[in-house]
Amino acid sequence: MVKFYSSNDTYQYPFPAVTLAYFLRYPNPYSTHVLTTDTIARHFDPETQRLTTVRLHLKRSKLPSAVLKLLPRSLLGASSGGDTQSFILEKSVVDIKEGWMDTESRNLEWTGVLSVVERQVFRRPTPDVPDEVKIWQGMEGAARRHGFINFTGIGAGAKVEDTGETTEVESSVTLHSHIGEKWKKRKAAEEGVSEEEHPQKMGFLRSWGTHSLQRSIEKIGMSRTLRSQPNAREGMKVVLERMREGGLVAVLEGMRQDREAILKGHHAFKKGRHHDDDE
Amino acid sequence: MSASLAPECNEVKERYDSCFLKWYSEKFLRGTARSDECDPLFKQYEQCLSKALKAKGIDNMLKEAREDNRENDAEHMRPKR
Repeated sequence: MVKFYSSNDTYQYPFPAVTLAYFLRYPNPYSTHVLTTDTIARHFDPETQRLTTVRLHLKRSKLPSAVLKLLPRSLLGASSGGDTQSFILEKSVVDIKEGWMDTESRNLEWTGVLSVVERQVFRRPTPDVPDEVKIWQGMEGAARRHGFINFTGIGAGAKVEDTGETTEVESSVTLHSHIGEKWKKRKAAEEGVSEEEHPQKMGFLRSWGTHSLQRSIEKIGMSRTLRSQPNAREGMKVVLERMREGGLVAVLEGMRQDREAILKGHHAFKKGRHHDDDE
Repeated sequence: MSASLAPECNEVKERYDSCFLKWYSEKFLRGTARSDECDPLFKQYEQCLSKALKAKGIDNMLKEAREDNRENDAEHMRPKR
């Protein structure tokens, strides 16, 4: 069983600004649960003008009480309240010539319990013209947009010009629970025995039935996704708005403030807001 | 700037991130980039970070995940038109 969510949206900002905001989206006031972000790999291909980036995010998360009830605490490694930290691996490719950015984020831990793959594709809307012309226009368009960010070192007043350009976003989230599957397969392969001989490990799974447990977990994941997606969008919009108002300087200043708030306001945030639910 | 997983790498990360943002907005987005000019700073940052990842025992998990994903990436990282 797999659950799938998808949506389409249009940002009222030009494509280059949106790609920059993607890299600068954490921290923002809607994602105070994202504690750290590191770039672990980056590759620029001068031939294709494509940039590939791999980043690692650490998020504070709260396991839904429904999941806590379903799974034994010993398996989860979380505190009694369900507080835990989790790593998210994000990969992105930006093609500035063709005007698209393809991104994918996935959880690194508990992928057996629930694997969550989030994909976002950003596109510069293409006019209805032949391909050859399109390529040329893409280049010319990038050149024409020189002024969109006037960045002369941090401290300069870089701004996004309101050119009326938009960016299309296609988002999807795929949720897949494999709980019970690996154990069954591995046991059968290694020992040539059926799962029946391992009642101590399979007991709680069997009592539920593997498939209904998987479906329940995917359903819980989906309701989280539905709650967190608007926050992810709002977070991007805050960053884009800061960029429009005061350029990169404003974005970086906003990030600094958000980071400070996260550091000192661990408890205040917990009481005041509930953004623990991812993105 | 966002914080690093390893506080001891924050300084070198900040230097790299600043370099990257400048290169990205001034060159890459304009289609005039010829090479990744911030690579030397990235190498320093990477050196610091990889030590921390190893110490925290995250390096293996990361390696496995990236190997698992490699095959998916080839077909996936190109939007269908």
